[in-house]
Amino acid sequence: MNDKFRLMVVDDEKIVRESLYYWFKKSGHMVETAESGFEALEKLEKTPFDLLFVDIKMPMMNGLELLGKVKEEYPDTIVVIITAYGSIDTAVQAMKMGASDYLLKPFKPDQMSLLLEKLANQQRLAENYRYVKGLLDELVRFDNIIGRSKPMQQIFNIIPEVAQSDSSVLITGETGTGKELVAKAIHAKSLRAHGPFIAINCGAMPETLLETELFGHRKGAFTGANQNRKGFLEVVSGGTLFLDEIGEISPKMQVDLLRVLEEKEVIRVGDREPIAVDFRLVSSTCRKLDEEVKAGNFREDFFYRINVITISIPPLRERKDDIPLLVEHFLNKYSHETTKKVDKTTAEALAFLKDYDWPGNVRELENAIERAVVLSKSRTLDADSFSFLQPTKTRYKTRRTLREVEKDYIKETLENQNWNVTRSAEILDINRVTLHKMIKRYDIERTR
Amino acid sequence: MSGTKARVGIMAFGSPPAEVLRSIADAVPIHFGMPVEILPPVKIPSYAFDPARIQYNAVSIIETIEAMKFPAYLKILGVLTVDLFLPVFTHVFGEARQGGNCALVSLHRLGQDAGSSCTSAASIKERTTKVALHELGHLFNIIHCYDRGCLMHFSMDLEELDRIPVEFCRYCKAFLDESIKQFRK
Repeated sequence: MNDKFRLMVVDDEKIVRESLYYWFKKSGHMVETAESGFEALEKLEKTPFDLLFVDIKMPMMNGLELLGKVKEEYPDTIVVIITAYGSIDTAVQAMKMGASDYLLKPFKPDQMSLLLEKLANQQRLAENYRYVKGLLDELVRFDNIIGRSKPMQQIFNIIPEVAQSDSSVLITGETGTGKELVAKAIHAKSLRAHGPFIAINCGAMPETLLETELFGHRKGAFTGANQNRKGFLEVVSGGTLFLDEIGEISPKMQVDLLRVLEEKEVIRVGDREPIAVDFRLVSSTCRKLDEEVKAGNFREDFFYRINVITISIPPLRERKDDIPLLVEHFLNKYSHETTKKVDKTTAEALAFLKDYDWPGNVRELENAIERAVVLSKSRTLDADSFSFLQPTKTRYKTRRTLREVEKDYIKETLENQNWNVTRSAEILDINRVTLHKMIKRYDIERTR
Repeated sequence: MSGTKARVGIMAFGSPPAEVLRSIADAVPIHFGMPVEILPPVKIPSYAFDPARIQYNAVSIIETIEAMKFPAYLKILGVLTVDLFLPVFTHVFGEARQGGNCALVSLHRLGQDAGSSCTSAASIKERTTKVALHELGHLFNIIHCYDRGCLMHFSMDLEELDRIPVEFCRYCKAFLDESIKQFRK
């Protein structure tokens, strides 16, 4: 049982800070102190704290003001108000603002001990709740699709409509855009939600293996077929079959699947007897299948069979407004999974993430957040946390204008050549007069 | 401390009962494995008195003793009869800084049973010994223990203190032995 808190004592009186500091250390808690609300907020910015003990009367920012800010920015942080100037009004106000308790100095040691015990129980319950909620969020797959942008709102509106019918759906989009998530959402919203959802990556298997996996086989159909085996087309009966990367399947497989979709029957490999099947097909591709059809690489009849409804998921670079929401979602996910409390990003970090093109789309963003959380040494991710996303040559903290880039490069060259203008001009491939003009224009001064 | 066997000094402030000092002095070698010496008594520290509270500031006393040098002693345990407080608390039975060099124990409230006009000398002696051993435990970096049968368990009141045996649990004992070993190196 771990009832140890990371806590902070905020009081302008040194003797109070020290007394509580040493008292809490004896119980094994991690303790820091701050002599003002501002210092407390600075520390909270860098490190998560479970519990704050805050004095009401402090200069510049009083305890209630600090309480308000903490509850706004760090709602999970417990705040206990301690004061020598108690009044019922202040106590009520503090509790209304979210304080967990209110202690009047001096208090009995056992009062503090009982309070910590109570708060530890509350924290344990809250953690259990968050853990179970996290598990539930995983189960309810539909909620994993994140987006506020117009294209995503359109998809959210289509899903329930599409889900109600049994029509085949083709989901298109670049790799990593969340095609499987949309397929799961369609299944979850459909009348087949209680049936199985089976996802097969058609591009990941050789054709012979894909055939037996989908259609099953009769005992003896081929070497190694030691018993009859149901294929996924039978197993998925009553549910939804998701064929990912359907553009990768061979013409023969297209013909076989077309027959299954039209006849609603499957014949196992090596068998003759048809078996009735009942499933709804959702498929996905990152190829342009209509062009593949025109090029003769994909059967037109099969294409129209799987493509009764098309849902196109835009690449992440076309819906950058969704990035902050996705970042928040993945931060919550990986803070929960890694038990590291990394829950904030700087404005520069968000700007950087929105500026990046995300060739790997949402999957790449998720990987980047996971990596940044695992490697982070503070609760806040800044632009440097994502430096691995940029090529080494262009590692900059913020966006720069061409003018700034030019100025910096000229300055760097001059410094490297010890301000030898002739040599610098040669390197920059401009003449000396031009270089002098640029030095003047950019107001570049020698620093070393 | 090289070349000198580590030992604990018991410093009486004023005149706490001799049998209480003796009880503590008997218990420390048993539980900490080191000798004890009862030092000559010193005056009750008037500098630490707070007239508004009519109590003595434990922090002041500890800081003063820690500033004094006692090269012959690994740890100093101060025993007082006056009421001790920490600035945020109403009172404390004893006080020590985690891993520090000096701890205090006060008999003042250890004889104040609720609803009783008189506490036996034996009870006071036992309670003082327990608090002394608990605070000494902190000096050797042992934190509070969840086990209600362990000397390092934080006692909310005298009833709870009375229920604790004069024993460390096996885990605290193991940590204590490990900590003491470091001092003997």
